[in-house]
Amino acid sequence: MSREGGNQDLSETVPRLPGEMLITDKEVIYICPFNGPIKGRVYITNYRLYLRSLETDSALILDVPLGVISRIEKMGGASSRGENAYGLDITCKDLRNLRFALKQEGHSRRDMFESLMKYAFPLAHSLPLFAFLNEEKFNVDGWAVYNPVEEYRRQGLPNHHWRITFINKCYELCDTYPALLVVPYRTSDDDLRRVATFRSRNRIPVLSWIHPENKTVIVRCSQPLVGMSGKRNKDDEKYLDAIRETNRQISKLTIYDARPSVNAVANKATGGGYESDDAYHNAELSFLDIHNIHVMRESLKKVKDIVYPNVEESHWLSSLESTHWLEHIKLVLTGAIQVADKVSSGKSSVLVHCSDGWDRTSQLTSLAMLMLDSFYRTIEGFEILVQKEWISFGHKFASRIGHGDKNHADADRSPIFLQFIDCVWQMLKQFPTAFEFNERFLVTILDHLYSCRFGTFLFNCESARERQKVMERTVSLWSLTNSNKEKFKNPFYTKEINRVLYPVASMRHLELWVNYYIRWNPRIKQQQPNPVEQRYMELLALRDDYIKRLEDLQLANSAKLSAASSSPPNSSQMMSHLQTQF
Amino acid sequence: MFSLKPPRPFFRSYLLPQPQTDDKISSEPKIKKLEPVLLPGEIVVNEVNFVRKCIATDTSQYDLWGKLICSNFKISFITDDPMPLQKFHYRNLLLGEHDVPLTCIEQIVTVNDHKRKQKVLGPNQKLKFNPTELIIYCKDFRIVRFRFDESGPESAKKVCLAIAHYSQPTDLQLLFAFEYVGKKYHNSANKINGLPSGGGGGGGRSIAGSGSSQKTPLFETYSDWDREIKRTGASGWRVCSINEGYMISTCLPEYFVVPSSLADQDLKIFSHSFVGRRMPFWCWSHPNGSALVRMALIKDMLQQRKIDQRICNAITKSHPQRSDVYKSDLDKTLPNIQEIQAAFVKLKQLCVNEPFEETEEKWLSSLESTRWLEYVRAFLKHSAELVYMLESKHLSVVLQEEEGRDLSCLVASLVQVMMDPYFRTITGFQSLVQKEWVMAGYQFLDRCNHLKRSEKESPLFLLFLDATWQLLEQHPAAFEFSETYLAVLYDSTWIPLFGTFLFNCPHQRVKQSTEFAISKNIQLGDEKGLKFPSVWDWSLQFSARDRTLFHNPFYIGKSAPCVHNGSGKAFKRTKKSYSSTLRGMPSSLKNGVISDQELLPRRNSLILKLKPDLLQHTDSQHNEMEQYFQEWFSKPVDLHGIILPRVSGTHIKLWKLCYFRWVPEAQISLGGSIMAFHKLSLLADEVDMLSRMLRQQRGGPLEACYAELDQSRMYFRARGPHDASATPDFLSSSFPFSPVGNLCRRSILGTPLSKFLSGAKIWLSTETLANED
Repeated sequence: MSREGGNQDLSETVPRLPGEMLITDKEVIYICPFNGPIKGRVYITNYRLYLRSLETDSALILDVPLGVISRIEKMGGASSRGENAYGLDITCKDLRNLRFALKQEGHSRRDMFESLMKYAFPLAHSLPLFAFLNEEKFNVDGWAVYNPVEEYRRQGLPNHHWRITFINKCYELCDTYPALLVVPYRTSDDDLRRVATFRSRNRIPVLSWIHPENKTVIVRCSQPLVGMSGKRNKDDEKYLDAIRETNRQISKLTIYDARPSVNAVANKATGGGYESDDAYHNAELSFLDIHNIHVMRESLKKVKDIVYPNVEESHWLSSLESTHWLEHIKLVLTGAIQVADKVSSGKSSVLVHCSDGWDRTSQLTSLAMLMLDSFYRTIEGFEILVQKEWISFGHKFASRIGHGDKNHADADRSPIFLQFIDCVWQMLKQFPTAFEFNERFLVTILDHLYSCRFGTFLFNCESARERQKVMERTVSLWSLTNSNKEKFKNPFYTKEINRVLYPVASMRHLELWVNYYIRWNPRIKQQQPNPVEQRYMELLALRDDYIKRLEDLQLANSAKLSAASSSPPNSSQMMSHLQTQF
Repeated sequence: MFSLKPPRPFFRSYLLPQPQTDDKISSEPKIKKLEPVLLPGEIVVNEVNFVRKCIATDTSQYDLWGKLICSNFKISFITDDPMPLQKFHYRNLLLGEHDVPLTCIEQIVTVNDHKRKQKVLGPNQKLKFNPTELIIYCKDFRIVRFRFDESGPESAKKVCLAIAHYSQPTDLQLLFAFEYVGKKYHNSANKINGLPSGGGGGGGRSIAGSGSSQKTPLFETYSDWDREIKRTGASGWRVCSINEGYMISTCLPEYFVVPSSLADQDLKIFSHSFVGRRMPFWCWSHPNGSALVRMALIKDMLQQRKIDQRICNAITKSHPQRSDVYKSDLDKTLPNIQEIQAAFVKLKQLCVNEPFEETEEKWLSSLESTRWLEYVRAFLKHSAELVYMLESKHLSVVLQEEEGRDLSCLVASLVQVMMDPYFRTITGFQSLVQKEWVMAGYQFLDRCNHLKRSEKESPLFLLFLDATWQLLEQHPAAFEFSETYLAVLYDSTWIPLFGTFLFNCPHQRVKQSTEFAISKNIQLGDEKGLKFPSVWDWSLQFSARDRTLFHNPFYIGKSAPCVHNGSGKAFKRTKKSYSSTLRGMPSSLKNGVISDQELLPRRNSLILKLKPDLLQHTDSQHNEMEQYFQEWFSKPVDLHGIILPRVSGTHIKLWKLCYFRWVPEAQISLGGSIMAFHKLSLLADEVDMLSRMLRQQRGGPLEACYAELDQSRMYFRARGPHDASATPDFLSSSFPFSPVGNLCRRSILGTPLSKFLSGAKIWLSTETLANED
């Protein structure tokens, strides 16, 4: 921990990362929505807002990375008279608000406001994101987790039907795709270029995953540029047929358009559309009815309304229903189940797209892969999945999250990745032994989705990341998680190969993720650590202890033959550790 | 012994001799083809051949062929065909896998496809068409469906009418338990001196195998109550015998516990003023001396104030700190039994009857509008508030309710489950059900509606099990039993064999069974009525191995508290040196003996100032209570102390195992909490095994240890140290139950039954359809 801070007291009490700098500190009143106003001192660094209570009977600490802040508002003016009416209200991306009351004298609010604005929204001030200043060192390099060639090799690729192409090496074919793509063997790079002209933002159909036995595949892309006139493109049609033909037994390629059909039709007006029956004879198209980023953003807003600061009590279930959040989760999961089922049954290969193929498409392909491939249910496997289907395939993290950007009302922001993690959590709930990682792992990922401490989720696509030399200049989130793996392990994990997980996407089983969405409310927070996990860990420790004692006893017994005086361990002492009833 | 021969549970079992390693080994001869398995006293009243049992809603390809019989105990479908798709079955020794006990039948619907007619069959009704289909709606949420396409039309009709008739008996003595026990007495009379030893009802037999070798105290005797007083360290309370022979009240037990300062004489006088002569009786005492008491309303308005004062003073006197009494008027603060019944009907409709997909969209709001969870929450919340009164305010609590035998049972039990870890063990929980439900006169007969004519039906007992489940869900390590245990206990209320759930009060058992014995020429000897089997004798229903599923592997138990010598400590209790001065002293003298004015109850104490709607606390009281809860939740839970429920909307959940276990669409294959349960069971078993090895190692050689393996308390067992056995493929969120063939909603050409039945709700009311034949 760094100790170069000028304030002696501060350096002892405020945690700081290497590269983190204190900007200012102020005495404030933190208006805690749960416990009322608390006097404290707030420290603002270029990474975080840290508050410690100055009241003796409260041990309250706030430790909020500035990246989490979405909006800072002044409340009260010079004429404000009410108690604690003058101060700042901070809206956070993780479903909470922070309110501070400050003294009107001495410009303390102005100072705090300006420091926060500057360091929470560095982009507007031509300052770097903290990830570029972070000098943390870990003994594992998270950037090494994902190597696309290795991952494709793990899937058995390239093979007779699929090849790896370097056509996008310099991101000239498609600037939002990764450099490395897997395409049908018999399609030439020239063909690919022609197909690219017919797909929105040149996001051509490429392989995401191949079934190890039946060799059906999941392919992802963006919508075809059909437009109002119903344009066709022979190369695109031929290409889709080539994908289908990589698996001889299959007569039809299944296309899942993630959107509601009305949206797909409406997209024709802006040049987009979907694959029509007459153009694509050997394909079967269905719509999955998943709504767009704007609908999801509004839905999450409603969730916040019913859980923060107070949980809607009198009509909890109907309020929850009216947010539609779980309904959206259900549709995403249902879509992914359909994709997984088609592929695992060997009925058909599947092509998934939405409009641009970077939001709903990423959700569907990654969830389907999680259901199909147990490798992705390990800690590193999951990291690879996120790295591959989300980060490398150009989910626009920068736009969706708004890292370092003060424009909180930007219509591009949307909790698409959060929704994906929520779906993963729902699966974790339904299959408590199927995942190597635990809930904490997912929460940690979400915390650093916003924090800007790591480079992992910065920027919109691989080409931008390369330009910014993100891998050289920042630390990967996976460095943190993989050097503390024990913390993120699910004790119930049972390794299974080749088991397809089909969650039941029914409202009867879907639940609001209380430990994430309502974690700030001390009255709602569930027992931590989870009592079931805790019990399991206790028993594991007990087992190891017993085994050790048994070994010792066996040694002692054999020694007893020679030295009769040695006595066995005190039995009551031994039993006192054993809480289990016999 | 009461040598019950368990029937062969599986009709296909004659193909493969069933390994019966435990319990009473059946020595029955081989069962002939398609012959029903009958219990003693059970007779077949009607049967029909070539019946098809529907397995799936959308296809008939899995349907089973066989014979449908109706006996005086159950309806039974006997088939040669093995059950398709089903990978696991939890066997009930009393019932075959396709059987439904008559008391478990909720509604019988007959249908004629061709004539597009349908009728709900009541007792003694005529049926003017030949049914092509029979649908049985069960109280345990199953829906079973039979088709008669190939059977004789007249026989089919007869069987339907027989089922309707026998499942809706006109008299309590027609319930099967009477015939069964009568037969037992006759049989044993021929063998041993006419005295059946251990009929279960008297608790003569142990519940061995249910986890502890302890007997469940039934609270039928003076000594059970006395032991409970000692166990809880309740000074100032005594067992009262004035109701011996039910001389005072027919709905109170023969023995109950009252303040020591109240003399029998006074109690007799007071009793006239109480509804049902149900005077106050003690439930439980906290180590701090605060007591939980329940009583009926005082109907005598003139005497009300006086008697109330006397009672409360007496309770105060029984408190070592002379603390005040806090009265909780349950009728005014909690939903009533009709509201609870209405909620339950809606819940059942929503969970099992309505088509799955159609209810998805509005699932959450529909669930909310049943109000079931709201009621579960209300009872938990109210009980937790009483815990605060008892524990933190050191007040004795009196539960008041008109008759004091409905909501009181639930609240009294919940308070005790939260406060006393003994009641979170299997034996303790069973004794609690005996104490606060069976003996306290919960009207199982009416509330379960075994005679199918009571408007008094209400699922209070299920509500209690549900609320207990919420506590179990929130504090998994605090309970010795599993949710399977709770679900199986609920199912057992629908088997008309156990005396436990058949009667409105203990007196009714004695009266009815004595009448029955006389009519059947059974010599009762010294016994008070017939001894019916007790539900706590789980070996009647399940093999020792299956019973291990009752055990919660998460449980962290201390050495089992000893109930018999009174010295067992469920949790730490403070010594009360003053108790001896009070106990055993003639009550009339007490006021004279205690000279310290401090110890006397204050005149006009809190008792009278507290209004009936006591939960309308003043703000400061309310804040204090909130603070108590907050503080409790901020600390780590002491599993051997008090446990409290979190009761916000996000914490009260639907008990999925109970309500969804038969719903095929809701089943998560190889998923659900059973997966963690399985994993933990293996580990717990391994730890048990290692500890046995350790103990033995100190004595003998290692090899002998594995011989003890069969004693495992876990259903899933480790095979050896570091066992990594594969997950069994039969696990699912419904485990150990299976939806296959148990929930066959009817649909005709995709039309849900509700629409087919001209818009009537599936849960048809008899009135709606009685005239549609």
